[in-house]
Amino acid sequence: MGYLGDSLVTAIELIFSFDREVQMTVWTSLYTSSTAIVIAPALGIPIGLWLALSRFRGRQLAISLLNTLMALPTVVIGLLLFGLFSRQGPLGPFGLLFTPWAMIAGQVVLATPIVANLVLAAVTGADNRIINTALTLGASQFQAALQLLREIRFGVMASIIAGFGRVVAEVGVAMMLGGNIRNSTRTMTTAIALETSKGEFSFGLALGIVLMTVALLVNLGLNILQQR
Amino acid sequence: MDGRLSVNNLILRQGKTFSLKVSQLELLPRRIYALTGPNGAGKSTLLKLLAFLTVPQQGTIRISGCHGGLGAQRRQVTLVEQSPYLLDGTVADNLVYGLKLRSITGRERQQRIDSALQRVGLAGFAQRRSDELSGGETQRVALARALALQPKVLLLDEPTANFDNMSLAIFDELLRTLPDEGITVIFSTHDPSQPERLRGETIRIDNGRLLNTPHRVKTSGNLPRNEKRPWPEALNMYAR
Repeated sequence: MGYLGDSLVTAIELIFSFDREVQMTVWTSLYTSSTAIVIAPALGIPIGLWLALSRFRGRQLAISLLNTLMALPTVVIGLLLFGLFSRQGPLGPFGLLFTPWAMIAGQVVLATPIVANLVLAAVTGADNRIINTALTLGASQFQAALQLLREIRFGVMASIIAGFGRVVAEVGVAMMLGGNIRNSTRTMTTAIALETSKGEFSFGLALGIVLMTVALLVNLGLNILQQR
Repeated sequence: MDGRLSVNNLILRQGKTFSLKVSQLELLPRRIYALTGPNGAGKSTLLKLLAFLTVPQQGTIRISGCHGGLGAQRRQVTLVEQSPYLLDGTVADNLVYGLKLRSITGRERQQRIDSALQRVGLAGFAQRRSDELSGGETQRVALARALALQPKVLLLDEPTANFDNMSLAIFDELLRTLPDEGITVIFSTHDPSQPERLRGETIRIDNGRLLNTPHRVKTSGNLPRNEKRPWPEALNMYAR
């Protein structure tokens, strides 16, 4: 059947035999990415909302900075947080480096600008009568902002899904902050890189198929929300 | 709280060319005021200021008897815009929103919703989705949403711009009853005869300046005081 065909069959067998190594790696990926994508919107939604609704000197600069952060390479985020979490760094005493929490922190830094930027776009594109309608019906500024988020909820959900898609597929943060430790911080992406370099192409391919499936589901969800 | 609106030394600048200046304006409770003037005169801007939705660069707007901050003052006044926005959900959801914010619950909430919808001729519309309504129905839901809150001051920005004569008469009739319920009505209009029909007082505005203090328009005859009458079902077709 050839090298590629044989590898594909082995990869499918690994997935459907519920190989423990594959399961553990998939679980680590989903666990860290899901935790990050719970925290990132808590930061990103208020930032996006604030940038969209407030007018202050330096607002354009802040938006440009947010755009730049969206394009920040994952290894740079990994590098910066490595400095913070390493033994000599300011957060060294907490012993977070090479734990799932360090990876989650990196992924939060990665996803927050994405969520904030897409919420900013959604609020900017929203009907500008929403806030005044809520205010004239008796809402406070905070309640009006919550109502606005409710009205653009599909855009907000799309931003969260886009953030999840980004963090579940990244390598740099997971590699630098997690250290690719078996049964602890090994994610699908870092495992693919490691196993392929070791010559375990089938194992990498199995994880690649799972990762592609996750990415496909995320994008299907995103498309459905964007059409609403 | 009687709901007298007092405007003093108000200045609002918008962009490089437009400014609204009102040195003094007293709007008494339980009256009807009509803001008239050409397009771009500042009618909508003044209504947004009176609704406490726009903050002026200078001057004050106060509602008598209300000692709270901006939020408390805003709750005494409700603005229905020319092209109102209905919140996502049903007609009932739209009416519930403001009542919920005022902690009005249970039977009173339901009574207010039913009464407001009936008065604008939309009884039975409570469960209709807001995005399935026609332009006329949207306008009337927005009015019902404001009436349900029983504000001290009701501001209406060209509320009858899209109405035909029949609907207009019914709408006028509804508006005329509001002062008897303790509501001051301030509306903008391009219809020169509407202030007279409503026995209202006219405030003319042009280029951001008031051209007169409010004065009552002389009516040509005794107009009947009407009870709370629902919008006749037969007229729904005209408002849609």
